[in-house]
Amino acid sequence: MLEKMAKYSNAEEWADIVPIPQDDGPGQPLAAIAYSDDYVEAMSYLRAVMANNEMSERALHLTEDIIRMNPAHYTVWLYRSRILFATSSSLPAEITWLNTIALKYQKNYQIWHHRHTIVDALNSCTGEQDFLSQMFELDMKNYHVWSYRQWLVKRFDLWEGKGELEAVESILERDVRNNSAWNHRWYLVFGRGESCFEDKERVRREVDYAKEAIHLAPQNQSPWNYIRGLIRQTKGPAALSLASFKQFASEFASLDDPDNVTSSHALDLLAEILAEREGDAADAAKALDLLAKKYDPIRENYWKYRKSLLVGQGGVKAAA
Amino acid sequence: MSAGRVEDVHPIVVEHKSHFNKPRHVKYWLRCLKTYLPQQYQSTDSNRTMLAFFTLAALDLLDSLKPNTTPEEREQYIDWVYLCQHPDGGFRGFPGSDLGEHRNEENKVWDPANVAGTYFAFCMLAILEDDFGRVNKKACLTWLRRVQRPDGSFGETVGEEGKVEGGMDPRFGYMAMGIRWFLRGRATGDVMGVPDVDADKLVECVRISQTYDGGISEAPFHEAHGGFTYCALAALSFAGHLPKPGENSSAGLSDVNHTIAWLVSRQTATLEEEDLLDTYGDETDTIATCHDAHSFVAMKGFRDTKNGKDSFDDRPTSNYHLQWVGFNGRCNKIADTCYSWWVGASLSLLDKVSLASPDPNRHYLLDKTQHIVGGFGKVAGNPPDLYHSFLGLAALSVMGLEKELKPIDATVCISTDACTHLAKLPWRVENLG
Ligand SMILES: [Zn+2]
Repeated sequence: MLEKMAKYSNAEEWADIVPIPQDDGPGQPLAAIAYSDDYVEAMSYLRAVMANNEMSERALHLTEDIIRMNPAHYTVWLYRSRILFATSSSLPAEITWLNTIALKYQKNYQIWHHRHTIVDALNSCTGEQDFLSQMFELDMKNYHVWSYRQWLVKRFDLWEGKGELEAVESILERDVRNNSAWNHRWYLVFGRGESCFEDKERVRREVDYAKEAIHLAPQNQSPWNYIRGLIRQTKGPAALSLASFKQFASEFASLDDPDNVTSSHALDLLAEILAEREGDAADAAKALDLLAKKYDPIRENYWKYRKSLLVGQGGVKAAA
Repeated sequence: MSAGRVEDVHPIVVEHKSHFNKPRHVKYWLRCLKTYLPQQYQSTDSNRTMLAFFTLAALDLLDSLKPNTTPEEREQYIDWVYLCQHPDGGFRGFPGSDLGEHRNEENKVWDPANVAGTYFAFCMLAILEDDFGRVNKKACLTWLRRVQRPDGSFGETVGEEGKVEGGMDPRFGYMAMGIRWFLRGRATGDVMGVPDVDADKLVECVRISQTYDGGISEAPFHEAHGGFTYCALAALSFAGHLPKPGENSSAGLSDVNHTIAWLVSRQTATLEEEDLLDTYGDETDTIATCHDAHSFVAMKGFRDTKNGKDSFDDRPTSNYHLQWVGFNGRCNKIADTCYSWWVGASLSLLDKVSLASPDPNRHYLLDKTQHIVGGFGKVAGNPPDLYHSFLGLAALSVMGLEKELKPIDATVCISTDACTHLAKLPWRVENLG
């Protein structure tokens, strides 16, 4: 049945291997796929070399063939890395090959796990940041790439002075709404331990950075979330109070000028600040009404719920 | 006292009829069940049990599995699921890794049982009303303990020298807790002579993966993500560690209100990639960049830059309609069909679906991503795929938006009918009391 393609079964090099066909059972299989002949043949040979635990150059090439057709195959990657180490293959060459695969199959997890294994063994991250920039040219929010980048920072101590913060800032200069970049910034600044949240200088710098981004685009949620994260998590000498942001929020949302709100997120923050003090509950309700009816009607039900949680607004908890 | 003069400029409730094309969906899924899936699915061959699960679960939600299959056919489907059972416990993700009679101590590491394969196998057996009689339950529970890492997270498979392979993310934690629930319910201690996994440690993994903005990510400090948030919450649900009504925290979740705020923030009227591209290189707020703030950013935050002008030109100056509202998976991304499930089901687990705007989401799913041939695409105008086609149905069901669909269990992700079948199985009643 494989006469036509026969990349393996007609090859002298593979003559010693008896392929193992897929067993899909005697009855009606579920999720049967119209496989290509190439794939069926290559998989039969893969099972055969795996069964022999073969550690060879030809088996390495076979894994590449499979990966190009089915990059999500969860053991072919493990098999491949075992062969690489068993045959003392060139790891830099593997990274070069992996670059082309990663650029081609962007949404694949296994590729990044494999890269992690190889780079860890190489014990060097030379060229990695450059390659990640190349990946970001295709998709600035690729989750696998950002996750890998976090591992890289920790593994090779890139926290400070190694271009990471600069890279994040240059991405945010191009797209201030890139939440992945904001998240990476948080990791770089606070990911090294709880004491980072007590560092007054550090926290002040971050507040200023987020405020500046908000001035550029007040309706961008990322820096608002960043500031609210800071309010929640900073402590000791660096602790920030919610109330200390009232002035800033009012720059974009003032209850005295309800027709000229320029950020729904400012209004949300203002509502939260006002809700802290019982005496301000009526104003908090005003802010939440503005959100529900005018500035963020998509979440009308949510703003009404928030209003129901206000102390002293009649409907405390009953309305929810 | 309430707010001063607030103009109600955006009535969300618009007289609008969206049509759920049930016959087309049934046709789409019967084609998946009874004919070969196209070759593009070859790249997901290793997840065939997942594709099979989508197919059976979708037809079950449509109440169209039994009417369109014979008992003999369903028996064959059950046999195929058992074909994927692994000799050392658990199930494979696909038959393609099966070394059959060639399997031995040296090579068995290339042919492991898989957490996702096992979870989907159990879901399928419940949907097909099997009695789980052929499941090697004891071996499965023993294997499950081996897929848990010392830090509490679960991986996907057990590799060389017992190393746990696969990501650390909550997908595997969710499905592992699901496997545990299928076989053990909420029993603690030994069941069938096998000790429990360390559920408390997994719960701790979820707790430390909460992000500064209220969502949950795959691991500490990673970006909050709708899919991981669902998996984390559903894992807590399986483990019985979601906060109780009226409580704002639990062992697994530090601040429910913060998480709810993050979940409702996932609702967006930014529906197309084109909309999002406008933000690239453009720092200004315009209606093109901020559909969710359509009513006020148009003329105000706008700064007179070249990019700002480009994205402002040719854009309607009137308000965007809120007839169509989708969910995104991360902050500042566009809507995507599957997040209606991931986020909608998360809200359902917290009993807060009513805080979203479910009706505009129904319009989004049915008018924008439901496909003419049946199924759903990822975003407006995309062709259907199995993943989004199933999760589109699941989303409509979990938010109670479609009467023609069976209710779905928000934790297990199968119909409540299938859960009821499972609950009645004698071995389960006996073992779990
Ligand atoms: Zn999706």
